[in-house]
Amino acid sequence: MNSFEYASPTTETEALGFLNDSSTRTALLAGGTDLVSLLKSDVVSPQRVVDLKNIDSLSGVEKTDDGISIGALTTLEDMQMHPLVKDYTSLLDIIDETRSIQLQSTGTLGGDLCHLPNCWYYRNGYGILGMENGTSLVEEGDNRYHAILGNQGPAKFVNASRFAPALMSYDAQLRILGPDKNREEIVPISSFYISPKTNRQGNTILKPGQFVSHVLIPNTRGIHSASYEMMQMEGLDWPLGAAAVCLELNGHVVRNVRMTMGHVAPIPWVAEETSRFLVGRDLDESSAERAGEIAVANATPLSMNDYKVQIAKTVVKRALLKSASLLEEGL
Amino acid sequence: MDSYEVFLKNLHRTGKPDVYEAEMKIASEMIDWKQKWHLHGKNAGKGALKRGLGMAIHQWGGRAHSATCTVKVHPDGTVESFGGSQDLGTGTRTVIAITLADTFGIPLNHVKVHIGSNKYPRSGPSGGSTTVGGVSGPNRRAGLEALWKIFDKVAAKYKVPGDSLIAKSSAVWSKGKKVCSWKDACSLLGAMPLEVQGTGAKRDGLTSSGVGGVQMADVSVDTETGKIKIHEMVCVQDCGMIIDLKTAESQVYGALVMGISYSLSEERIMDNATGRYINADLKNYKLPRIGDIGELKVQMYQPDSEYQRGVIGLGEPPVISTGAAISNAVANAIGVRVSVIPLTPRRVLDALKGAES
Repeated sequence: MNSFEYASPTTETEALGFLNDSSTRTALLAGGTDLVSLLKSDVVSPQRVVDLKNIDSLSGVEKTDDGISIGALTTLEDMQMHPLVKDYTSLLDIIDETRSIQLQSTGTLGGDLCHLPNCWYYRNGYGILGMENGTSLVEEGDNRYHAILGNQGPAKFVNASRFAPALMSYDAQLRILGPDKNREEIVPISSFYISPKTNRQGNTILKPGQFVSHVLIPNTRGIHSASYEMMQMEGLDWPLGAAAVCLELNGHVVRNVRMTMGHVAPIPWVAEETSRFLVGRDLDESSAERAGEIAVANATPLSMNDYKVQIAKTVVKRALLKSASLLEEGL
Repeated sequence: MDSYEVFLKNLHRTGKPDVYEAEMKIASEMIDWKQKWHLHGKNAGKGALKRGLGMAIHQWGGRAHSATCTVKVHPDGTVESFGGSQDLGTGTRTVIAITLADTFGIPLNHVKVHIGSNKYPRSGPSGGSTTVGGVSGPNRRAGLEALWKIFDKVAAKYKVPGDSLIAKSSAVWSKGKKVCSWKDACSLLGAMPLEVQGTGAKRDGLTSSGVGGVQMADVSVDTETGKIKIHEMVCVQDCGMIIDLKTAESQVYGALVMGISYSLSEERIMDNATGRYINADLKNYKLPRIGDIGELKVQMYQPDSEYQRGVIGLGEPPVISTGAAISNAVANAIGVRVSVIPLTPRRVLDALKGAES
């Protein structure tokens, strides 16, 4: 690990100052559950680490005109405990499935959204695309945990965020600050993630000097929501496939649905055709099954991850049934 | 045909059919085999979850390694043992202390065990299920030799026949009558402790080799995700004479946990593209947690016939058949064999897909 400066601002403005006062390479520290291992393995080597934990305005949950605002530094546990979050069942499902008490008590929502890929080529120093001498190691090598959708470009990792699919389905927005001190923008989360084309790009639209300060989520009135993550292990583990759904029903008939899949593509994957198929139909075991099939109809699995197509199909089906309280089984 | 019957009909191929048959019977009652059994793939449920039973048997050597030790009996009646062995967490200290406490008939806390240093008499390595047999033999031999020397002194002093003496409950007894306390007996040693060297391994019946066991697993498989859940695992295990039941059982529990680990998730992944060991971290080197383990039940099998075989190592044996038992249970649940462990969702789903096409 290289030596680095440590900055601990207490206001958003001060943080932007530390992030933009020179050409210093910076890294943001939130809960630190992932950054520390990235630093240790030299995958990330900042000259300055800017710790956001002591900025009070970045933590907590507040009511807004049309929903809630969650500070990016709010821990999973604080979200779980907060009365304003209790209607956002999709978020609570994910906190539950995170299982690790350490991650729940120190991990933050913003940290999760900006979580760098878990791709083992990236983590072993081959860049975000996992390339060596111009060829994709992911394609040639062990891609059992890699993308099955949106993997025709150079990026073949899966987006590591657990909350992004749920927030996409909720139509959430992100408040992004910087790089200039007075610059603030509100961006729909659906345009936050990118599939990088070169190793120099990140996997979000964030530019150097910017950070996510808050997540704005609309009201969930009349919406059934759920997340279903399939993990191999009962303890701390990463999903092999995940789906988050927001569902509006008229009796048994689907009035509106937004389905987003996680851990299947370099970005959270919106299953638009699935949603189109479901509108106007009765939601039951067989329509949910068909919805899952449609979600993976265009999957392009790599050499070792055909099985993830089956898992993705299943999580879509089960997320739908779970949101309507129809899910009966599954490990 | 019931897998249980298949095993039963083939036990004559093993070295110890009677032992396995007795162990199978106990294990099947522990897991309620007859009640739960169904033919491979003939699960009553129609949903994604399929439940299955599997069993396997195993055998191993466990012969004692060649160790030496020094046993000191102090004039105050306390005992010390010195040996260059080590305790990896498998209870080496415990079994040495129990061996000597039993030999001298004194409380466990009157025995001090010194291991883990090259200064001490040469001992064997920790490996090959050889340690418990390896260290208990020499300590027992040295302990008995020391005891006889002390009995000689007691016999002379108290005018009782030496060969009538036994040591128990911190005293020396002759024909049911207390002769003197253990402390009084040891005070006859004079000012210096009695020091005896113990050696091994010997074919004197204290230790031998050859252990076995039966394991049964009750699992569910989610046929839509390939995930496996262990409901219950039972193990009936023999290892000759058991020095400490709790330590022996603990070894078997640990073996079941690690057996479940290598069966379901633990895997060193060497990448063909880079030649690197790419999951050398706790994120992708998947170890089970409590929720992955299910309920474990262990029964040590120790009838007189086993007891008389002496001490035999138990380090590796109980981890051998876990993979086979779980793999058989998965095959029983889904009717398809997943032939490579760990039985990951990928392998399970690929096997199911292969069977379909």
